[in-house]
Amino acid sequence: MQRHVVITGCGLVTAAGNDLDGFWATIMRGASFIRPLQQFACPEMDTLMGAAVELPSSDDLPTTVDSIAYRSRCTQLAIAAAGRAVSDAALASGAIGLERAGIVFGTTLGQERQVADLSEHWVREGPDSVDSGFLRRCDNHGLAAVIAARHGLGGPVLLSATACSSGNASVAMAYDLVSSGSAEAMIAGGADTFSRLIYCGFRRMGALAKDVCRPFDRRRDGVSFGEGAAFLVLEEQEAARQRGARIYAELAGYGISNDAYHMTAPDPNGDGVARAMRQALETTSTTMVDYVSAHGTGTPYNDVGEARAMKAVFGDRVRNIPISSIKSTIGHTNGAAGAIESIVCALALVHQAVPPTANFSEPDPDCDLDCVPGEGRPMRVDTCLNLAAGFGGSNVCLVIKRPQ
Amino acid sequence: MIRANAAEVDASIAVSGIGLLTPLGDTLGAFAEALYEGRHSVTNSQELAGVGESRIVDFDASRYATIRGMRVYNRTTRLGICAVKLALADALLETENLDANELGLVTASTFGHMDTLIEYDRSLVTVGPQQTNPVLMPLGIPSAPGAAIALAFGAKAFSITVATGGASSTDALGLGARMLQSGRANICIVVGASGYCQELSLSAQRAGMLTSADNFRVLDRRHAGTVFGEAAAAFVLERVSDARSRGATPKGVICAQASTFAPDPAGIESALCRACSEALRGARIAPSKLSLISSGASGLIESDRSEARAILATLRDAAERTPVCAVKANLGDTIEVAGLLQSLVAIHSLRSEMAPPISRLEEPDIPGLHYLMQKSDLDNGYALITSTSYTGACSALVLSANHGC
Repeated sequence: MQRHVVITGCGLVTAAGNDLDGFWATIMRGASFIRPLQQFACPEMDTLMGAAVELPSSDDLPTTVDSIAYRSRCTQLAIAAAGRAVSDAALASGAIGLERAGIVFGTTLGQERQVADLSEHWVREGPDSVDSGFLRRCDNHGLAAVIAARHGLGGPVLLSATACSSGNASVAMAYDLVSSGSAEAMIAGGADTFSRLIYCGFRRMGALAKDVCRPFDRRRDGVSFGEGAAFLVLEEQEAARQRGARIYAELAGYGISNDAYHMTAPDPNGDGVARAMRQALETTSTTMVDYVSAHGTGTPYNDVGEARAMKAVFGDRVRNIPISSIKSTIGHTNGAAGAIESIVCALALVHQAVPPTANFSEPDPDCDLDCVPGEGRPMRVDTCLNLAAGFGGSNVCLVIKRPQ
Repeated sequence: MIRANAAEVDASIAVSGIGLLTPLGDTLGAFAEALYEGRHSVTNSQELAGVGESRIVDFDASRYATIRGMRVYNRTTRLGICAVKLALADALLETENLDANELGLVTASTFGHMDTLIEYDRSLVTVGPQQTNPVLMPLGIPSAPGAAIALAFGAKAFSITVATGGASSTDALGLGARMLQSGRANICIVVGASGYCQELSLSAQRAGMLTSADNFRVLDRRHAGTVFGEAAAAFVLERVSDARSRGATPKGVICAQASTFAPDPAGIESALCRACSEALRGARIAPSKLSLISSGASGLIESDRSEARAILATLRDAAERTPVCAVKANLGDTIEVAGLLQSLVAIHSLRSEMAPPISRLEEPDIPGLHYLMQKSDLDNGYALITSTSYTGACSALVLSANHGC
């Protein structure tokens, strides 16, 4: 018998805020935090634009974490967000057997900066620059392990990598573990920080926005990146109710697909995205959708493909469904994006309102959707879809509903 | 298309195809023969003094597969593609005839992208962004090997990369089985590949993890460290009923898999024991019913001891009569491939009712287990696969060769 899975805790760190109330209020205003970056640079590139996280000093990590030198920006963001989610869900209250609780961590690049540090040393020192800790520092599973260790988790501690859909994939994998009874509770989400591989690579591909990203807008010219982390706590519904947990939403299920089309380009027809959406709707017996949190990166190809997919799935109804992307507010946070946007969906259900697409003002005839321009929109929200598509073609669509 | 009611889906998952590339052979027959003879492929490194390694010499991907774009992929990805090609052929499946929307892929890869990432990032520093090879950028992210393999074989149901270090492919087998059980594909390929990466070997050497070819021993009192090994392996999974309906004979059945975590190295023993117990419970099998333990012991002293003690605690009264083999003694630690290799050794051993010895094991370090020191007859029953990573991931898998789960 399939068990219902609910979201009982949310935690995030983003450029738009590090607490749920502040984050929600900020994204509803349609503000954009994509600005010239002060703390991050790439070789031979002018000032970079991006959305940086400002963590309060209380989140500052010591030089080692749990006796291991895990000092890295990605780890720090992840620890901060996961700590908020665990606290929000009161996961450590004793009501949940943490020995059967785990984490699925999604990341696009993970510890890429460890390699960047190595490169800087390598050009001067050659092979001598490789130290005994490099193997451990560049192992992305360490990201999941450090959080599991801090919170005493003894269940599955997994790391999933499906590029930019990693956040959604981690939530989907955690859903399966909770709904099947393999785990009592799961922390699911992801983290990523700025990466020169991504900035340099996207610049070479001509896919980096010249100033700020404008999802679905006629003037869009590329993606803007952000850093961030987000985690959700998932539990079985009845167990959550019995312990008196706050239930944000039900995670009803998901759809998953792969384009198998190209290593970087999305399928221009959006076939893979449409398959993920249809599977999500069919497996959760969902007929009405009130809001779609789009992948909406702001690249010309992604947004058209996504719009085509939504039209294929929803037909004429698509114009009555608000569809927005918060990537123009906090940038594309890669492996964290799906998790942050899952929290957006949960908050949309709580607040009965949907966030806008910042920087959207000139509709594109090829993306003729209701992109929620300007500010957020109060409305009845019972069912949300959260869509993510990754480099290489991996698509995951989550269905998030008001709890029964 | 996915079934609306997962409960209606056949829960038994068959291994219907196996592909492998190892220094000891690229067919199950040749590989098994080497194992039965106790041979190993560990030699001393030409690059790192005092370090052993196991490399595939003269690997030529074009002998196995002709895939568009293959030349830009790194060695790990090419190894993975070739293993998948072999597994599909073994399963009597041709990709041209498969429904792409029903073909899923789970890739076990923690470090598979690393040499490409290092090459790309280093070129940003040495020659600048405008002179770098732009093709390398998308291949330098952790999901790249899996994405490339999915592209090569047109897997459109899903493509997920699991990165739990040495537990990756055991976890990947569990995930692949669950994806089939929930009806998200009709066929799921699970693949792991591990190619040589100089920087990772250097770091492991400096961390004191690696030992020489002469000193490499697994589960032996003289174990002094591990060696890294190159290999690739792939399984084709499908529901038993689907395999039978197309006339395929399942080679093995995945009965259950469980993952746990140890927050520190001292906790590996109990966490692995919990994973084993959960997997056995999931398979509804008592420890006494196990015919074989295919251990993930690698030669690292504390890791081997934790593994042996966890198996002891799992087997209890059955410990002294349940055979234990350890394929890393033959191939070194292939990290993301290890669970798949341990599983295929188990499947072959159960089917042939003959298990291989632990190469060069003379004096077991932890007494109480039935370590195989020569090839040995065994019952065609159930096998337990054990895996751990130094980051604390533990994974256990129960397999059968006689479809009895």
